[in-house]
Amino acid sequence: MEITLTHYLVLATLLFLTGMLGFIVRRNAIVMLMCIELMLCAANIVLAAFSRWHLDLGGHVFVLMSFAVAAAEAAIGLAILVEIYRRRRTVNVDELTTLME
Amino acid sequence: MAIRAYQTLNEMLGLPMSSMLPLAAVGSGVLTHFTTVFIFVLFGIFFAALALGVARLVRPNNPNPNKLTTYECGELPRGSSWVRFNVRFYLIALFFIVFDVEVIFLFPWAVVFKQLFPHPQLGPLVFWEMVLFLAILTVGLAYVWGKGDLDWVKKLIEREPAAGEPAAGESATGELEEVTSR
Amino acid sequence: MLETLQVNIPSWSDLGYWRPELTLLSTFLVALIGDLIVRGRRPWVPFTLALAGMLLALGFAVADLGEPAHTVMGSLIIVDGIASFFRILFLVAGLATVLFSWTSEEIMGVKREAKGEYYALLTLLTGGMCVMAEARDILMLFLSMELVGLTSYVLAGYMRTSLRSTEAAVKYVIFAAVSSGIMLYGLSLFYGLTGETTFVGIREALFANPPHPYALLVVVVLVLVGMGYKIAAVPFHHWAPDVYEGAPTPVTAIFSVGPKAAGFALMIRFFYTTLVAGPEAAGTSNLLRLVDWPLLIALLSAVTMTYGNLVALRQTNVKRMLAYSSIAHVGYILMGFLLLTSDGLQAILFYLLVYMLMNLGAFLFVVAINNHLRSEELTDYAGLGFRAPWLATMMFVFLISLTGLPPTAGFIGKFFLFKAVLAQEWYWLAILAGLNSVISLFYYMRVTKAMFFTEPAESDGAAAPLAIKPLEYVVLAALCIPTIGLGIWWGPVRDFADQAIARFNVGI
Repeated sequence: MEITLTHYLVLATLLFLTGMLGFIVRRNAIVMLMCIELMLCAANIVLAAFSRWHLDLGGHVFVLMSFAVAAAEAAIGLAILVEIYRRRRTVNVDELTTLME
Repeated sequence: MAIRAYQTLNEMLGLPMSSMLPLAAVGSGVLTHFTTVFIFVLFGIFFAALALGVARLVRPNNPNPNKLTTYECGELPRGSSWVRFNVRFYLIALFFIVFDVEVIFLFPWAVVFKQLFPHPQLGPLVFWEMVLFLAILTVGLAYVWGKGDLDWVKKLIEREPAAGEPAAGESATGELEEVTSR
Repeated sequence: MLETLQVNIPSWSDLGYWRPELTLLSTFLVALIGDLIVRGRRPWVPFTLALAGMLLALGFAVADLGEPAHTVMGSLIIVDGIASFFRILFLVAGLATVLFSWTSEEIMGVKREAKGEYYALLTLLTGGMCVMAEARDILMLFLSMELVGLTSYVLAGYMRTSLRSTEAAVKYVIFAAVSSGIMLYGLSLFYGLTGETTFVGIREALFANPPHPYALLVVVVLVLVGMGYKIAAVPFHHWAPDVYEGAPTPVTAIFSVGPKAAGFALMIRFFYTTLVAGPEAAGTSNLLRLVDWPLLIALLSAVTMTYGNLVALRQTNVKRMLAYSSIAHVGYILMGFLLLTSDGLQAILFYLLVYMLMNLGAFLFVVAINNHLRSEELTDYAGLGFRAPWLATMMFVFLISLTGLPPTAGFIGKFFLFKAVLAQEWYWLAILAGLNSVISLFYYMRVTKAMFFTEPAESDGAAAPLAIKPLEYVVLAALCIPTIGLGIWWGPVRDFADQAIARFNVGI
């Protein structure tokens, strides 16, 4: 069996939908951040696959950059979560209601 | 466009396209790549099963409840293994992530550096770009260091009491129900 | 072949066209080091450095106004008319915020840590926004958006001891991360459809062989999610009220104008370059019809302004009310994108500049009052017209400008927007926007009523005049005078916007 572009795209779509579903269903902020990482991974797979398909290096470079961005985002996100955990003893987003109406 | 430039350069230097494309091919010759992997996995399973199977045949069989407990350097295990890690481990992990990811920029750079360096225009650019990148990271590291966040013990003594104080005298704009959370 | 190489290799000499951004980015590093050297004990050191850096950058930006378009860093970035326009807008907003932060108790209060870091981050935020207005490659688009985003999360959570500030940061991170994830997926599919990363390349590929309409629609919608989050358009606005209310007020002030205008700058460059070949060629593009772009934008705009105004009606916290009102203003500005014409673009640019002046002014007024009253509740604003008459009068000007009444700049801005919409014969949208302006009159005038026609509550010192600092007067007056002035004499600014459009480069 040949592994074609379609296979990569299907994998990416499934990964993206998994991340999206997890983001909607789970209420733990750390798990939500992890789901977002899945979505970024899906985008990276699409970029890498299309990069090879078009024989253009742009996609590969994009993947490297988005790795770095994802790491920075995770680092800042976790730092802020640690901070809120110190104050509230919870990272459940449904319980963060100080700013609700 | 910049990427195009490097591709064009690649052609100029007479390098094959594949030398710049690290990913497994999409749609061509994949079968052979994955056959190798598959055979490798089969071998792995086979040898592991072989070692365990032979051991099972030769060893004496003498079950004992003590043998099923967790091994903790010969001590008797106490308490649950689901303990909370100190939050400082997370801080160290955060710094590690940030400074670790820079390596993904260093690797591709290092791979092509030797080819690009002799080029009259690209050479200095390639070299100084990386120097600049590392310099900016160094400022970050210096900042973290200067703020004492790499310092395990100092943080313990200085920061904790300060963080514990409720911010008294702050106002209705939301400064702080910290007392309730403690 | 060698010739293309010459053009495409990034060269150091390109960086000469990028002086303002380089100044801002190096100011960030210098301010951090400066803060480290004084061990965080003398906040005036990073403050002065940030101020000097921004002034220098503003000087460079003004000096480079007439330059022809140039690409920087191997064509990842373009400095053209639109970029020069937004640079000035961001630098003015950044300067006003830096100055006002110095007077703010929320930032400079005795209990605060890391005051130096705050000023360094403000310069970085301003630099990031400038880059957003200059990106001409989807890679740079993503990176600049993330640079602004990452800086914003930290600034939103700057008051570490405040629950509300930290909670705002958490909500911001989560919403921003998910929408940037969705946008990255959209961008990756854009790359897949065309095989190009530059906007121009994408357009050429799309025009050469138009993709399936649904494919293009999905991709455009995914990208719009990311940009819609940045400008806080409904239905991607959920983070905005909470973040605006929880973040320190000076930070909210720059959030409500800076990243929002930068998001619009990105939208302008991205959609005007990829879907049509610049504002002049809007009529000839069939890609717009392919994705039914006008309807998409009209719906987004109608929902955004109606929702923002209706919810703002029942707010009792002035900061939160202004947050919803800024969502409503996004709805008005989106009307300019209807057909991607140059009329629309002119209206957008003019309105963004006016919006920057009046919204920044309104939020900075909230900062000034918060310094004294420690409150943003409408009930506490009672009698402010007598306790701080000059400040309250200036707030009144900002409020009537936000409503869009003459003789203020807000009226002229709205006039251009309505003209652009009517010229394209979208009458229902124009009528809806008119109705919305009437609704907005109610809640803006509630603030005025509280300030001028309500007696302050009977308690100790509640009626005493407030001791407003001179710096607060100066900055607010600097925003207030043009707000009225542009309502009477708007020609120069309209010409400024027209020049930016004339030098808007969609081709290099």
